This record gives sequence, C-alpha cells and structure tokens, in this order.
Amino acid sequence: MARPLVRLQAIVGVMLLALLVLLGRAAEVQVVQGHRWAALATAGRTEQVVLPARRGALSDRRGTPIAVTQETYHVGIAPNELKDPAGDALAVARALRVPAPEVRRSLRQRYAYFGGPYGAAAVEPIRALRGVHLEPVLNRFYPAPGLAGAVIGRVDDDGRGASGLERTLDSLVAGVPGAAVVLKDRAGREYVSPARVIAGPLAGNDVVLTLDAELQEIAQRALDEALRRMDADGGDVVMLDPATGELLAVASRRRDGSARPSAFTDTFEPGSVAKIFAAAGLLALHRVLPGERVSGEGGRWKLLDRTIVDEEPLPSLTLADAIRVSSNIALVKFAKRLEPAEQYGMLRDFGFGAPTGVEFPSEATGRLRAPAQWTRPSAASLAIGYELSVTPLQLAAAYGAIANDGVLLQPTLIREIRSPPPGGSVLYRHRPEPVRRAVTPDVARRLRELLHGAAQRGTGEEGTLATFQIAAKTGTARRVVGGRYAPGEYTASFAALFPADHPQLVVVVKIDNPRKGSYFAAHTAAPVTRAMLQQALAARQVALDRARLTDETPVALATPAAAPEEEVGAPAVLPWPLPPDSARAAPSTRRAVPDVTGLPLRDAVRTLHRRGFRVVLKGFGVTHHTWPAAGDSVAAGATVTLFGSRPSP
Amino acid sequence: MTDRRWETRLLAVIAAVLIVLGLAEVYGASSLVTTSGGTVGARLAVRQAAAALVAGILATVVARLDYHVWQRWAWRLLAAVAFLLLIPLLPFTHPIAPTLNGARRWVNLGVMALQPSELAKFAVVVWAATLAAKKGEQIRTFKLGVLPFLVIVAPLAGLIFLEPNLSMAVLVVMLAGIVMFAAGARIGHFLLVGVVALPLLFGAVAAAQYRVARVLTFLNPGAAPEEASWQIKQSLIGLGSGQVFGAGFGQGQQKLGYLPYAYSDFIFSTIGEEFGFLGVLGVVLCFGTFVWIGFRIARGAPDLFGQLLAVGLTSLIGVTAALHIGVSLAVLPATGITLPFLSYGGSSLLVALVATGVLVSIGRARERV
Repeated sequence: MARPLVRLQAIVGVMLLALLVLLGRAAEVQVVQGHRWAALATAGRTEQVVLPARRGALSDRRGTPIAVTQETYHVGIAPNELKDPAGDALAVARALRVPAPEVRRSLRQRYAYFGGPYGAAAVEPIRALRGVHLEPVLNRFYPAPGLAGAVIGRVDDDGRGASGLERTLDSLVAGVPGAAVVLKDRAGREYVSPARVIAGPLAGNDVVLTLDAELQEIAQRALDEALRRMDADGGDVVMLDPATGELLAVASRRRDGSARPSAFTDTFEPGSVAKIFAAAGLLALHRVLPGERVSGEGGRWKLLDRTIVDEEPLPSLTLADAIRVSSNIALVKFAKRLEPAEQYGMLRDFGFGAPTGVEFPSEATGRLRAPAQWTRPSAASLAIGYELSVTPLQLAAAYGAIANDGVLLQPTLIREIRSPPPGGSVLYRHRPEPVRRAVTPDVARRLRELLHGAAQRGTGEEGTLATFQIAAKTGTARRVVGGRYAPGEYTASFAALFPADHPQLVVVVKIDNPRKGSYFAAHTAAPVTRAMLQQALAARQVALDRARLTDETPVALATPAAAPEEEVGAPAVLPWPLPPDSARAAPSTRRAVPDVTGLPLRDAVRTLHRRGFRVVLKGFGVTHHTWPAAGDSVAAGATVTLFGSRPSP
Repeated sequence: MTDRRWETRLLAVIAAVLIVLGLAEVYGASSLVTTSGGTVGARLAVRQAAAALVAGILATVVARLDYHVWQRWAWRLLAAVAFLLLIPLLPFTHPIAPTLNGARRWVNLGVMALQPSELAKFAVVVWAATLAAKKGEQIRTFKLGVLPFLVIVAPLAGLIFLEPNLSMAVLVVMLAGIVMFAAGARIGHFLLVGVVALPLLFGAVAAAQYRVARVLTFLNPGAAPEEASWQIKQSLIGLGSGQVFGAGFGQGQQKLGYLPYAYSDFIFSTIGEEFGFLGVLGVVLCFGTFVWIGFRIARGAPDLFGQLLAVGLTSLIGVTAALHIGVSLAVLPATGITLPFLSYGGSSLLVALVATGVLVSIGRARERV
C-alpha cells in the first residue's frame, strides 16, 4: 500500500493547497481591496433622504387652530402579504371608507394604493395588519377652510406658502428639513435606521394671529348676508383693536362667492367717511372756532367749475353739524381755510397714500397726490373724500388713530410667535407699534365727539345700538369703474368706533355697489355694523371689556365738554386681552333658549347670538329643532346646537 | 500505539462549532428575507436547528456503528438515490418535486424536503469505496477496473445534470475520481477518459447548457447571466467590505436583498462580511483541520475500504467547501453549492454530519486495533 499512501498525501496536499490559495484570495479581497469594496457597498445601499419638518400652526388669538400640519397617510397594500384577504379587504374598506367592491378590485392588482390622505385615526384599525404599508405625509389642514381664507392663504404642492399669511410667514413656520441616511434593499425599499440621522428636522414656529375666530365668523356671516340682501358686488369688513393695532377680523367677499383679500388690496374713494380727516386738520390747526357757523347755501352751492350738493340742507352749520349731517358744502367751505400742504399733511399723517405695513404679501398703497399735482378742485374734493383712494385697512387704521388718542399704529395680523411645542417659548409678542402721532389727544377726543354726534343724530344713526354708544361716520361715494364715475353705482362705507367714549373696537364696513334698496351707507353698511356688534357683544369669548362697557355707558357723553382730561400718551382703552368674563362683566345668569323652530337658520343664529348663546350648526334649510330645546334654561354663553330640516350629507 | 481519540473528538468539535456558527448566520441572513415573504423571521433558523438535531443524533448512531455496514448497503443506497434522482425528472411528480428557481432539485417526503443530489454525493463515495476495495489491484486495469465505475457514475451524473444541477454532477464525478485515484487507478486511464470523454461531454454540456440557460432565463428572469454576475459582485462587496475585522455579528447588510441566498449558497460571503478576514481565516482553518484529520484517519484505517471511505468522505467535505468558497471569492463560476455544516439546507447538513459520523467510526475502529 505504499503507492496509495503517496496518492493520499497528494490528495490532501492538493486540497490543503486549494484552501490556502482561497485564503490568499480572501486576504486580497478583504485586506488589500477591502476599503474599495466597502465604499462600493456604502454607495450602493444607502440613500440620503430629506426628513420633512412640521410646518408651524397658525391659530387665532385664543388658540383656535386655523392652519395646522398633520401627519396623514397614503395607504399601500400588498395583497400577497395579507393573511386573510377577504376579512382584511373589509377592514380596509371600513377604515378608509372606500366601497368594499372597489377595495376588492384594487386588491386584485399586484399592489393596491389608496392616496387618501387619511388621518391617523382612520388608519389606526389597519395599522397592524400585515401587508398594509402606511406612507406618512405631512399635510396642511385648515379646520375651517372658509375662515379668513384669503388672509391666511394657502400652501403650494411643495408645502411652501403660496399666498396670504402662509407666504409672509413662510420662513418662520416652514422649519428646517432634516436629513438622514437610510438603508435600502435591492428593491429600493428603505429601512429606517434611527442611528443614521444626520440632522433631525426642526419644526417651524407656531404663530398666534391677532384674528378672533368668533369675530371673524360673525363678520363673514354678516357680510355674506348683507351682500345677498343688497345684491351688492362685494364688500369688506375690517375690525381692529385701536389700542394695539391688532386686526381682529378681516372679511372680504365678492358677489361670485370668491374671497380675495380685497380689504388689503382693493382701493376705493371713501367719500364722506373721510370728511373727519378734514375736520381733524381744521381742529388741529385751530381754523374753526367753537360754535362758528357757515351758510348751508340751501343745499346747492355753485363753484367756478362745479356745483356741490347736500342731500339734507340746513340753513347754517357748525363743524359738528357738517359732520353730523355729512354736509359737503360746509366741509368744502371750512376746508378752504387749510393750505394744500396742511390738508395733504393731515391725510398723510393718518396714513393715507402709504402702505400700512401689515404683514401681508400684497398691500395696495392707495392714492393721495402731492399738492404739486393737484388741480383746482382737488382741495374741495379731498375735503369730502374724493381724489383719494384708500383700502378698507387704511381707513380702519386711520379711524384707529382717532380712537387711540391721535396715535396711528401699524396694523398687525401677528400677535405672537412661539417656538415649536417641546420648548414652546414665546419668540415674539406684538407690542403696539406707533407710526406717528397724527393729532393731539384733545383733537382726537373732539373728533370722537364729532363722530359720536354723527352716530347719534346724524347719518350714522342706523348703526347705533340700544345699549351702547358708538362713534361713527357713513360714506356713500360714487364708484369709479374703468377710470370714470359709473352712473348709479356707489360704494357704501361705514367706519365706527365702539364704544364711543373709550373705543375698544374699530369697525369698517364697505359694500360695493348695492343694487337692492337704498344705496346710502346709512341704510346699507351701518346696519351691518350694528348686527355685527350685537353679535360680538353676545358672543361669550370676544374680548371686549364688558366691565368698562357696562359701567360707563350710562354717563357716556352725557357731558361731553366736561369729559375728564385724558393723560397724554396713556391709551384710551385698556390693552387686550382682558379677562373675557369677570363675574361683574357677564354675570352667569341662566336664560331660556328661544324658540327658533321654523326660522331660517341664518335668522335663528342671529336670534341665539343676540341672546348670548354660542351656536353650532348642523344641517341645512330651516331650523328643525335645537339642543338644548326651546324653553330650556341654560347658562349664558352656553353652546346651542341648531339642527336644520335637511341633515348634512 | 498512542492515544488517538483526540482526532475523532476534534472532528466532532469542529463539526459542532461550524454548525453553531452556521445556525447563527442562517438566522441573521434569512430573517429579513423570510419576513418580507410573510413568515416568521426565525423560520429557516428553527428548521435548520431541527435538522441539525436529527442529523446530530443520526451521526452519533452512525459513529458507533461498524463502518462495514456501508459496504453491505452500498449498492442499495446507490439504487435508492438513483430512484430519488429520477423522481424530479418525471413529469407527473410535480406535487412532491416542485420547480424552485427553475430547477427541480427537491423531493418532498412529507416530513422534510430532500435534495437527492446532496445524498448522491454520499452514496457515490460509499459505493465507489466499496467497489474499489472489492476490485483491489484490478482497479489498475481499464476493462475490469475503470469501466465499471464509468458505467455507473456517468448515468448518475447525467441524472443530476438534468435536474439541472451541473456543479453537483461535476462534484459527484470528482468525488468518484478521487476515490479511484486513492485506490490506485492509473493516471493514464484518467487522462484517457478525460481526453476521450471531455470533448464529447463538453459539446453535449455546452449545447444542453445553452438550451437550459435559455429555458431558465425564460422561466425565471432573475436567473439570467446578469443575475449570476450580480451575485458574484455582491458576494465580493460583502466579503470585501468586511475587511479585516468585519462589520460585526448581525451587522452585515448584503443580506438586505443584495446578496441572494446569503443564508445558503453565499453564506461564506455573509460570514466574511460580518467577521472579516479573521472570520474567514477561522472557517478555512476549521475545514483545513477537518481535511487533515480526515486524512490521518484514512491513513490509519484498518482496511482498504475504510481508507477509501475516509478519503472519499473527507474529500466530500473539503472539495464542497473549497468550491463554495471559490464561488464566493469569484475564483469559480457562480453555482449553487452549499458550505458543509454552515449553509442552510437539511440534506446538506445531514450528509455532512453523517459523513463526520462515518469518519469517526473509522477512526474508532483504528483505535480498537
């Protein structure tokens, strides 16, 4: 057996040699070329992905969410992975609210995909099912899409702000997307590896707006109703807190139901509503003596180039009378005492012809020509609110200056900016930002008295409330269409300070071209304001200082001359927010729910608001019933649910 | 004679170490694959563990048997394997021999699926050793020595080739050749057979391979030639990125669908990725030691049959391992060859363990002498 032993050794030798060669090859691959293969491996199986950052939420001044970013899901289903295809299909159909046959049809494909997006609650029941793959996406969601939609704006498909505040605030709320390296398998599926996050996403800041959802709702509803009733082309409502410049409600509607932010972007000739600024010039420069009268000219006054007409002629008028009855003749006569530069300067001081600086991506400047460009009738025109174009926002800000003891504040939509939730610290809080002092506190007070007079006994009467005094001015101006005055078309406007003595609210209502009924602002815009104020007072949470309202109403303006001298610089109103209902302000009395059965829902809502209830609407048509039911005694400010005759779909 | 029990003991220890390492790697490499398939991640590892248990018991029994039992059973064993190899080739046996990855290599026996070609390796080695031991010096003649082998082995290899499983067919022929070589067959005869048969065989294989390849590509696009080169490249990426110390146990990423059969045909690559060159060195050292001890046992075997059987079985383990490692390192073309003890697969594990058991029984027989 000598020979086989040699062969044995040959076999073992060859095999061990083969293993040695392989070991050498392994050393070559692993030790010599190792780093190259490792680089190839990393390149082939990792991918850098962007981790989207949560966009900050926008909320109203009380925290009611207006725009929020939520994690929603696309749902993908791999039918071959399902354990119980029939049962799972049913569960999916139920969870996603897709008809079951449609789900079954989709499941016959290799991969079924339901775009959705579906909320976290909807996908919860199927989250754990094998074969169901959830793909999270961050989605911008507007809980009440109609609420101040044009002001809030929208985001584009990439999630960046496209319009409105979403655009202005984009850099603040967008956050910083993170980056991560994910492993992917050969099929491209990604395996999330938390250890490989390069930079976590930084959520955007949350923004608390100055808007008051309830006031906004009231304003929108009132405006819609007014437009419908008057068959008008459109309209705007601006509500402003004069002490801070905070915009509480901005509603804009067109006849076709669209809502572009016309309160910021569209200008109009204000007409009589701007007469108060001519009066401001006269008072500030002492060009009118108290009790000084001019002739009313019997209602028609011929000038060189035109005739000025008054609707309500008086034999002779003081400045107060001129504002009260909105006399064009008297205003033009008084305004002749102002130099063009003085007249122009006063309008300029109230912010006309310049952007207000509100945080909105597009704002119209309006038009106020410098005296050098004036023509002969310009001074007279400007005195009665023509040759001047303003936005409703500018008008509200200017009236705000009258309310705020003569200091013009920059209007704002942003109340507070907070860092994202885990920290949640306040990064910015709005402080009143004075632009300039337009008039002295004393002149401002006298202007308020003029406006109060106009509201009590003049053209603004229709805007007054039974319980509270307001200071207000109407304006019915001819509309400019295509560069010339359109016959028979008017813009009705109404600017009000509420309450008259220590205003807490500036309301500007503008109605474009009312066709039905009277076009006079006294009959159009003024009642809208009254309706809104009634509802605002009844609304539980609107931050009006009821304590001051109730205490001071009885003596309001009873002796205007003896009104206490106000400290210079001190705000005429307390800063908001104030405790919305102190026991003294709104005693929590119980009251009966009125019977509104059969009323149109709109009227029912108003009735309930007037009684001081909050209202939730369910359904359409006329009121079917309420809960709590009519006659039930509930606390003031409680929520009453209105059920329409036709249910919601 | 000195105490030689350490040899059989070391053999058993090596087998045990490799099996444990294999179980861990099979679990790591297969869990993701099976999860996406919709079953529990540990399914393959659990099955492998069960197979290891059964095979381990079987090997223990075999180790205590007199190895001459195999001499008596050699022909019957070969016949049984030939029968099993036939089953997948018959058209009506699909229910028990389904087509997997374009080939029918498995026969389902209800309890477990067997891969007859794995068993064929063992059966051929046993049978060749039996025949060669019986022939004695006759092996040196062509007519009485070499021809009988050719007559039996060639058709058997043909059956394996038709599965199709070319690499296993080649392996079976090689093992038979090694046993014959060890038994003293003349080198001239090997050359003769090689010179005459190879061109013929090559032509036939090439033609068949071409047709088979086309059919395979049609039936299973994933098995197309690009797929084979992809596999090799991924195997190298895995091994190479392991570098010296490896990514760490369980940290390999090639098993995320990049490296197909990371738990069986490419388990060596997985080990290389996770344990680096040191792990590769360890595994190669284990197989080297196994081969070395196997031949020590063969050299000291009490009779010719024992010696040839030990040589054949040692080669079975060593050659299979070398082929597997060679494929992983892109030294050989990509084929589906398992790594004994380590790769997932019940038949492979069973054969490797039973072979170890037989080697131990031969070693023990020598101890008794």
